[in-house]
Amino acid sequence: MFEGLIQFGQSIAHFSQPMVIALALLASLVGVIIGALPGLTATMGLALMTTLTIKLPSDQALLILICTYVGAIYGGSRSAILLNIPGTPASAASCLDGYALARQGLAGRAMGIATTGSVLGTLIGMVFLAGFTPVLGGLALKFGAYEFFWLALFGVLIAGTLTGDDPLKGWLAGVAGLFVAGIGQEPQYAYERFSFGVRDLAGGIQLVPALVGAFGFAELLTAMREHRPPVKINPFDTVIPRLTDVTKYWRTILRSGLIGTGVGIVPGVGEDVAAWSSYAAAKRASKEPEMFGKGSIDGLMAAETGDNACVPGAVIPVLTLAVPGSAPAAVLMAAMIIHGVRPGPMIMMENPRFVYDVVAMMLFATIGILIYGLVLTKALVQVLRVPQPLIVPIIFVLCAVGSFAISGRMFDVWVMLAFGIVGYALRQWGYPMAPLVLGIVLGDLLEKNLRRALVLSDGDLTPFFTRPISGALAAMVIGSVAWKVWSLHREGRRARERAA
Amino acid sequence: MRQDRIGGAAWIAFGLAIFAGAWQMDRYESMGGTLYTAPGLVPGIYGLMMMAMGALLALRRPGELADAAAGGPLFNRRVALALVLMLVYAIGLVGRVPFGVGTAIFVAAFCALFDGDAPPRRRAVTALATGIGTAVVVVLVFERVFLVRLP
Repeated sequence: MFEGLIQFGQSIAHFSQPMVIALALLASLVGVIIGALPGLTATMGLALMTTLTIKLPSDQALLILICTYVGAIYGGSRSAILLNIPGTPASAASCLDGYALARQGLAGRAMGIATTGSVLGTLIGMVFLAGFTPVLGGLALKFGAYEFFWLALFGVLIAGTLTGDDPLKGWLAGVAGLFVAGIGQEPQYAYERFSFGVRDLAGGIQLVPALVGAFGFAELLTAMREHRPPVKINPFDTVIPRLTDVTKYWRTILRSGLIGTGVGIVPGVGEDVAAWSSYAAAKRASKEPEMFGKGSIDGLMAAETGDNACVPGAVIPVLTLAVPGSAPAAVLMAAMIIHGVRPGPMIMMENPRFVYDVVAMMLFATIGILIYGLVLTKALVQVLRVPQPLIVPIIFVLCAVGSFAISGRMFDVWVMLAFGIVGYALRQWGYPMAPLVLGIVLGDLLEKNLRRALVLSDGDLTPFFTRPISGALAAMVIGSVAWKVWSLHREGRRARERAA
Repeated sequence: MRQDRIGGAAWIAFGLAIFAGAWQMDRYESMGGTLYTAPGLVPGIYGLMMMAMGALLALRRPGELADAAAGGPLFNRRVALALVLMLVYAIGLVGRVPFGVGTAIFVAAFCALFDGDAPPRRRAVTALATGIGTAVVVVLVFERVFLVRLP
C-alpha cells in the first residue's frame, strides 16, 4: 500500500518537469479536439499519435498517448451537447440529455456537468488502476496457456457481441482480425503463411498501419459520404460546474465510476458500452426516470462519468494480462510494445513502477481536461466550425506519413490504404471495427497459447475445461455466445409472430 | 437480406480459400512435427469458423439478427472522388515528388473540390493557403519536432 504510494509519488515527481507537463497539456488538447470533431475517434487519434511519437522517449510517447486517449473520450461530449452528434461513439449516450439541456438554453451547464463527470470518472478509474492492477497482476501469474487462449478468444468474441448491432458480423470481423494477425512467418518454424512470395508480407502486417487504415482512412471515407454544412453554435451559459451537481449526484458519480471501470476491465468491451451501462443504471435508480432523454442532469452525469472511468479500467487488463479492455486500449498496448514495455502478468515483478507511471499520466491528462473544460471551452468549440473538407485531407496526410514513419517503407502506406478501403466497405455493410482490431492485437497471443496448450496436453482438450480458471473462462466464452444466439433467436421468433 | 446472403457466400469462399491454403502448408512431420505444431492448424480453424459463420449469415431467417448495413451504394460520388484523390496522393505523389509539394497539391485540390459552401474566389484562396500551410507545418513538425523521415 505505502510502497505503491511512494512509487506513485516518484512517478509524479518524474513527470513534473515543465517540458513534460507542456507535452501532457498539448496532447490532452489534441485529444479533446479529435474527440470533439465528429468522425474522428479516440482509436484513430491514438493510432495517428502512435506513429507521430515513434521517435520520442518511451515515457514521453506514452504520456502523449494516454493524454490523447483521456482527452478524446472527454472531447466527444462537446459535439454531443452542442450539435447532437457524438464526437466519438462513447459520447452517444451523452447526446440524449446533453442536447436536450442545450435546447433548453443550458449548453454551458451541460458541458460543465460533462467536465465534472469526466474528471471524477477518470479519478475513480485511476484509484482502481492503482489498487487493482497489482491484485489482478498476482492473479494473472496463475494463468497458463489454456487460460490465455480463452481470455484472448473472450476479448475478440465479446467485442463482436457488444460493439455492433449484429453479433454475427462482429464475430466475423473478429475472426478476420485473428487471421490477419497470422499472416507472415509463424512463430514455431518461421513458415511463411499467406505471404504469396511478397517479401514485405513475410514479416507480417504491422499493427499500426493496419489500425491507421481501418480507423483513420476508413473513418475519413465514411465522413465524406455526406456533405456536412457549416455548423452554427449558439452562445451558451457558463461552463463552470456547480458544486451542487457533485453533492446532489454523488451516488450517480460513484455508481457510474464503478460501472465504467468494471466494463473497462472486461476485455474488448469499451467506452461506449460503459456509457450506456452507466446511463441505464442511473435511469433504473432515479426517482425521475421519465426525465431521462429530456434533459436529465443525472443521465448526462452518468454517461460522462461512465465513459471516462472506462479509460483507466481498460488499461488494467492491458497492464496485467496484455489483453486490451477496449479498441483504443488495444492501440495503446501496441504502442507500449513498440516502445519496449512488456505488458502482461510479469509487469508487477519486472517493472512495477510503470503501473504507477501510467496512473500519473492519467492524472496529468485529468488535469488537462479539467483546465480545458473550465477555461477554454468557448475557444475550443470553435473547432467544430472548421469545414470538413479542410480537415479530411490534413488527417489523410497524417495517415500516410504516420504509416510510413513506423519503418520508413512505402509498403506500410499500401497496407494503410488496403485496410482503409476494406474497413470502409465493412463499415458500410454493418461490420464493427473494434472486434477486427482486437483480433489483430490478440491473434498472436491466441495462436501461441492454443498451440502451446495442445502440445502440453498432447491434443487432449479436457484441460481447457477442467482447470479452474480455464474452465470459468470457457464457461464465460461459451455461455456469452450461446446466450446471445438464443436471445436473438427468441427476438426473431417474436418478430415473426408479430408480423404473422 | 440479399446483402447478407451475398456477404455470407463471400465469407464462405474466403474461409474455404484460407482452409485450403492452410491444408497445403508444410506440417514438418520429418522434424517431429504433429498436428498441434502444424503452421496451418490455427489458420485452418479460422477458415472453418468463417465458413460456419458465413453459412449462418447467408441462411438466417428475416428478423433473427439485425441487418445493420447502411443503405445506398457503397461509393457515392463524394466518396469516390475523395478516394481517387487520396489514392493519387498516396500512390502517385508520395515518394515520387518532393513531399511538401505533393502534400500542398493534394490538400489544395481536395479543399477546392469539396469546400462547396464558399464563393469561388474565397474557396481558391482558402484551398491554396490550407495546402501550403499544411505542407509547411507537416514537414517542419515531422522532421524537426518528431524527427521522423518523410517519404
